[in-house]
Amino acid sequence: MNSKIMNDAMNNDANQSTPQASQTAFRAPHVFRRWLGTFGRGVALTVLFIVIVLPILWIVSAAFKHYVDIYKLNITFTPTIGNFFEIMREPFRVQAKLLNSVIVSVSTVIITLPLALAAAYSFSRFRLFAHKSMLVAVLATQFLPPVVIVLPFFLMFRDLGLYDTRTSLIMVQTAMVMPFAIWMIKGFIDQIPLDIEESAMIDGATRMQVLVQMILPMALPGIITAGIFCFILSWNDFIIAVILTSNNAVTLPVAMSLFNREEGDLWQLLSATGILIMLPIFVCATFMQRYLIRGTVAGAVR
Amino acid sequence: MSERFIKYAMVAPGLLIVLVTALYPLITTFYLSFRDWNLGRSNASSALWLPSDGISQIGYLFDNYSRALSDPSMWNSAWVTARFTVVSVILTVGFALAIAVLLFGKGSVRAVLRSMLILPFAMSPALIGALWRFMANADFGVAGAISRALHLKNVDILGNATAAFWLVLSSDVWHWTPYFALIFIGALASVPKESQEAAEIDGATPLKVFFSITLPQLWPVLSVAMVLKAIFAMKVFDQVVMITNGGPGQATQTLTHFIYFQGFKYLNMSYASAVGWLLVIPTMALTVLYVRLTQRGK
Repeated sequence: MNSKIMNDAMNNDANQSTPQASQTAFRAPHVFRRWLGTFGRGVALTVLFIVIVLPILWIVSAAFKHYVDIYKLNITFTPTIGNFFEIMREPFRVQAKLLNSVIVSVSTVIITLPLALAAAYSFSRFRLFAHKSMLVAVLATQFLPPVVIVLPFFLMFRDLGLYDTRTSLIMVQTAMVMPFAIWMIKGFIDQIPLDIEESAMIDGATRMQVLVQMILPMALPGIITAGIFCFILSWNDFIIAVILTSNNAVTLPVAMSLFNREEGDLWQLLSATGILIMLPIFVCATFMQRYLIRGTVAGAVR
Repeated sequence: MSERFIKYAMVAPGLLIVLVTALYPLITTFYLSFRDWNLGRSNASSALWLPSDGISQIGYLFDNYSRALSDPSMWNSAWVTARFTVVSVILTVGFALAIAVLLFGKGSVRAVLRSMLILPFAMSPALIGALWRFMANADFGVAGAISRALHLKNVDILGNATAAFWLVLSSDVWHWTPYFALIFIGALASVPKESQEAAEIDGATPLKVFFSITLPQLWPVLSVAMVLKAIFAMKVFDQVVMITNGGPGQATQTLTHFIYFQGFKYLNMSYASAVGWLLVIPTMALTVLYVRLTQRGK
């Protein structure tokens, strides 16, 4: 039902009649009112476009500005890529934070996906103890305020000597993204027909063989989508990293505070770091957009 | 291996990671909230379960809670969070619905804008926060550009309690509205068109059709979205830290930020845990509501 909604949402160009189309048809005599409607809609679309694009454009342009141009607020300026070199020097050394971000996010995704696939398969194909409650509980854990979740982990990792390590970040982030991964992959497995599996089982295949050799390839788009979504969540995380790291394991979002200095904010360097945070996410999001929206939205209102 | 064993063996690792990561902090903070443990005073390791190093004061039981309930700063944060949540739910769901109606339908402009909706949602909230503070800057930001273009006096958005609150709020609305708009576009597509068309033939205005026919049919999705947004709003943290850090004064200090400050600035783990639980309780209530709404009729 829900994936149907999302399919419709992404494909509603293809629908023969939309409310707007039929409205204009019946109100054709009122030329002025129609003109006003079209004009109003044009204004609204323009405003929406500006509201979405302006903040992104603002930070992108600032990342390529000299310091003086930042202050001058000019629309036109001579672009420079110097900021990207500047953030790599002392005392910022953003490349170390970039490396942390990459290692933490990629590890989180690599650990999460197989576990989530197994759990999703089990949720999809079997009747488990307290089946529905378990599934809902998994999702509901994500509604707890993160600051309450991370505080005890801070204390625990401090005792274990894991404070300010990538390991501790990966552990907590894996738990953070797992529910979404389980729900998304389950949604995809639910759509795979049962009969192929059953005939393979009759021919003597084990569950593991079925999962690895049949379900894995068929659910691959879903698994990749879930992986990208988990990567985005992990990559964008701020609250876990700000509490569990201080120096060695600092990730990119937390590193932005480096440019908030006593003598004032170094906006051009902050913006350059912002580009490093934004770019991989935007590439992923654009690339996988269709599936990403379906998977992300479907779990929420189901 | 029996089927019975396999199905639980497959689900166990993922499920355990999720549940343990939720339950362990809940139990720990619950325990801590009845103790008096300041990391600054007692720096003992493994202090959690060993009463010998000064954390197990008999008779301290509800002191953190009674302190919280008589702490004006806590009430200030609770009030900020409540206002933030209510206004954010109204604005986000309202704008999202308007955008959904605007972008639902044919046309390449609509299609392009629909695909752009993913951008604010995919952007790091901490980066959005940094960007918002940048744009609000009176010398370097959009606010500065506007006041200079109009020859106005520089406005100090971050120094004004009301303006700062709305600034943080607008960053949250910008982040979440596109996501809910996408949900509503999906819901609009599943509304049957026959009754709308019939009403139009009978001479109802488009506005009337929308409010009396389309909107009631969207209500199941709208109500879930409102609860979901309320939960997200109560968790807001990244933007608060990045934009105002709770200021000016405590004008934008939400409960999450208050807990963070108590725990990691004043190192008062017990007090932070107690206030944490005061936030967990309404969150759980909303979660129950969310589950009821989504599981309705199943």
